[in-house]
Amino acid sequence: MVENPLWVALIVGAVLMFITLTGMAYMTWFERKVLARFQDRLGPTRTGPFGLMQPLADAVKLLGKEDLVPASADKWVFLLAPIIIFMTAIVGVSVIPFGGEISIFGFELNLFAADVNVGALVILALGSVGVYGIILGAFASANRFSLLGGLRAAAQVISYEMVLALSLVGVFMLAGSLSLREILVAQQDNLVFDVFGLSISLPNWFILSQPIAFVVYIIAAVAETNRAPFDLPEAESELVAGFHTEYSGFRFSLYFLGEYINMIVISLFAATLFLGGTDGPFAQDIWGLGVLYLLAKAVLFLFFYVWLRATLPRFRFDQLMGIAWKVLLPIALLNVLFTAFVRLISNGEITVPGWAWLIVAGVAIGALLLSLAGERTRSDHSRPAAQAGD
Amino acid sequence: MDWASLAFYLIATVCVLSAAGVVISPNPVHSAIFLILCFLNIAATFVLLGAEFLAVAQVIVYTGAILVLLLFVLMLVDTEKLPDFHTGQPVQRVVGLILGLILLLEIGAAIVARSIEGQPGSASRAEVEAVGGNTQALGRVLYDDNLLAFISVSLVLTVAVIGAIVLALPDRVRGTNKQRGTGTINLGHPVGADGTPLALPQVRGEAPIPPMAPGTLRPVGADRRIVMVSDPDTYNTVGQHEEPLPDLGDDDASRRSLAGRQGEGTR
Amino acid sequence: MMEVGLNHFLMLSAILFIIGLMGVLVRRNLIIIFMCVELMTNAVNLTLVAFAWSLNSIDGQAFALFIIAVAAAEAVIGLAIIIALSRRAHTIDVGDVRTLRD
Repeated sequence: MVENPLWVALIVGAVLMFITLTGMAYMTWFERKVLARFQDRLGPTRTGPFGLMQPLADAVKLLGKEDLVPASADKWVFLLAPIIIFMTAIVGVSVIPFGGEISIFGFELNLFAADVNVGALVILALGSVGVYGIILGAFASANRFSLLGGLRAAAQVISYEMVLALSLVGVFMLAGSLSLREILVAQQDNLVFDVFGLSISLPNWFILSQPIAFVVYIIAAVAETNRAPFDLPEAESELVAGFHTEYSGFRFSLYFLGEYINMIVISLFAATLFLGGTDGPFAQDIWGLGVLYLLAKAVLFLFFYVWLRATLPRFRFDQLMGIAWKVLLPIALLNVLFTAFVRLISNGEITVPGWAWLIVAGVAIGALLLSLAGERTRSDHSRPAAQAGD
Repeated sequence: MDWASLAFYLIATVCVLSAAGVVISPNPVHSAIFLILCFLNIAATFVLLGAEFLAVAQVIVYTGAILVLLLFVLMLVDTEKLPDFHTGQPVQRVVGLILGLILLLEIGAAIVARSIEGQPGSASRAEVEAVGGNTQALGRVLYDDNLLAFISVSLVLTVAVIGAIVLALPDRVRGTNKQRGTGTINLGHPVGADGTPLALPQVRGEAPIPPMAPGTLRPVGADRRIVMVSDPDTYNTVGQHEEPLPDLGDDDASRRSLAGRQGEGTR
Repeated sequence: MMEVGLNHFLMLSAILFIIGLMGVLVRRNLIIIFMCVELMTNAVNLTLVAFAWSLNSIDGQAFALFIIAVAAAEAVIGLAIIIALSRRAHTIDVGDVRTLRD
């Protein structure tokens, strides 16, 4: 565990927070531009060159709106809920490593705010506390539809949080640590393959060692941040606006921006865990290049998010929960099992004779065929038994 | 005074005040929020004590799962029937307070006069760092020394999940209902404005739909529902009856009750 | 202000335990009683971890982790019982639930 002195950590944290807030503001611009291009139109063009002043215009508009608190709402909880979701989202940036040790003006510091021993779990924990922003916001607006929408959103976030955590267990096993800096270091080794006499050297990015976990993580991340196609609880055409119906003006923007910051943090997290973070050609030599690589990878994920929103229709709530519990969770568990097995074999601690692999493959294929057959014969109009809000 | 002491005093103060808020607050949802604050501060105390994995586990499991479950239950339980905070006898509160203070003094005396020393273990800061950190050291202890306890706890959790699902099933779903098969939803025959059944257009190749005879049990309109009555001992369905749906009126009383104004006193 | 030692942590957990205990004795709402029981459990966790820190042992932390897991199981079942009770008895006042007694 590498430590910054306290005041250095505070300064680095403040700079990171400032950068994230700017990034979040321009994420709104990015989304509107990219969505527009997908839909064969231009997006914001009038506010500044290429519409770059659009976030400023949005901020001015939202700040100028009337701040309504419903009369029978619980006032303190109503004020508290968007703050919770915004704060927990932005604290997540503090554990992401933006680089190793650098020296500026002869002064040594590390390019992250905090390297805790359990860094990856901190981000998951912040996601867990962020659920309260949804529940308390839904409850505090004295509106039964908001309550139902909020409880559904909370149920969705909790289910996908678990899938998220399980999909990352494989990565933690391979890296041997929960600390994000050590995961970064573990990905900087090179895997060398000898193929037909040529030796190919690939970076040890975990997307290559854990492709299934990566796919599960991406789906769970999209669902966790309540983004399309999993945004049923807050979609404009359902339940008015879901759990933030009664919020207007700056409070609404806190929810909205909190969601964007959550997206940014999860993209940075994915870039660190699966794509090697600051790793790239010549990243060790030029000190700014690693940060640029990390930001580029995060922008790739953000583009993927917007792409999904532009392209896919929304899932129904029971389909959404069915995917989490019946499909993604078993896949993540099997991935953990498989990774553990492969790790033990490659460490030499157990040896498996060749015929055992045939049996395992047979059992796996049989189970897969059975489950597919089971899906077809089950009738499609079985009601979900006990939903939240029932 | 160094940062750790300052942090400890700050965290301890907030912790105690929020715990007091849990007990004193008349609104259960406010109590739950104070409890969240208390648990987050306890997690911060764990970090001060060098147990980082336990701190995040506390946040994820206790704050992020158990209290969310509690809030769900608070919001789904009918809030009109919540008891009044002040219906208990006032003497109960005074006696509780006195007992609490006496017990606190006793525990305080026991802490200060502590004379039994425990066996020091082998996990000082340097040794823990040598293994790789708090998580790695904890992992070794859990999986090497206490493996049986670990697996038993996972069994306990599985059984708890199954038990909770069975306990909390609504009465309609529980029990065998041999009359209801899979398939069609019977909405009943539509009636016209004067109450007589309408003649439905006949689909070519199918038999005309006859109007249902009155007295057959099926949902007759939008304002009724079928409730299955189940035997509380065996959970088998012993009958069914129709009852009118509760009126989600638009007046202030129902809006307040559904909005969760759980006053334990009068507001 | 003195240096923070083991006694400070033990006093903090004792205060939390007593507050939880008073909550269980005084309140009548089942769910709030449940919350106070969780508070007491956490106070015990704090004691365990404080001793683990002072005696350089990691067993205290492992035990506290088991307590967290089992408390989660207990919370799940307790809340399911409360839901089932509120459905049948239509109240969650502890004074009204006395069928076993009568």
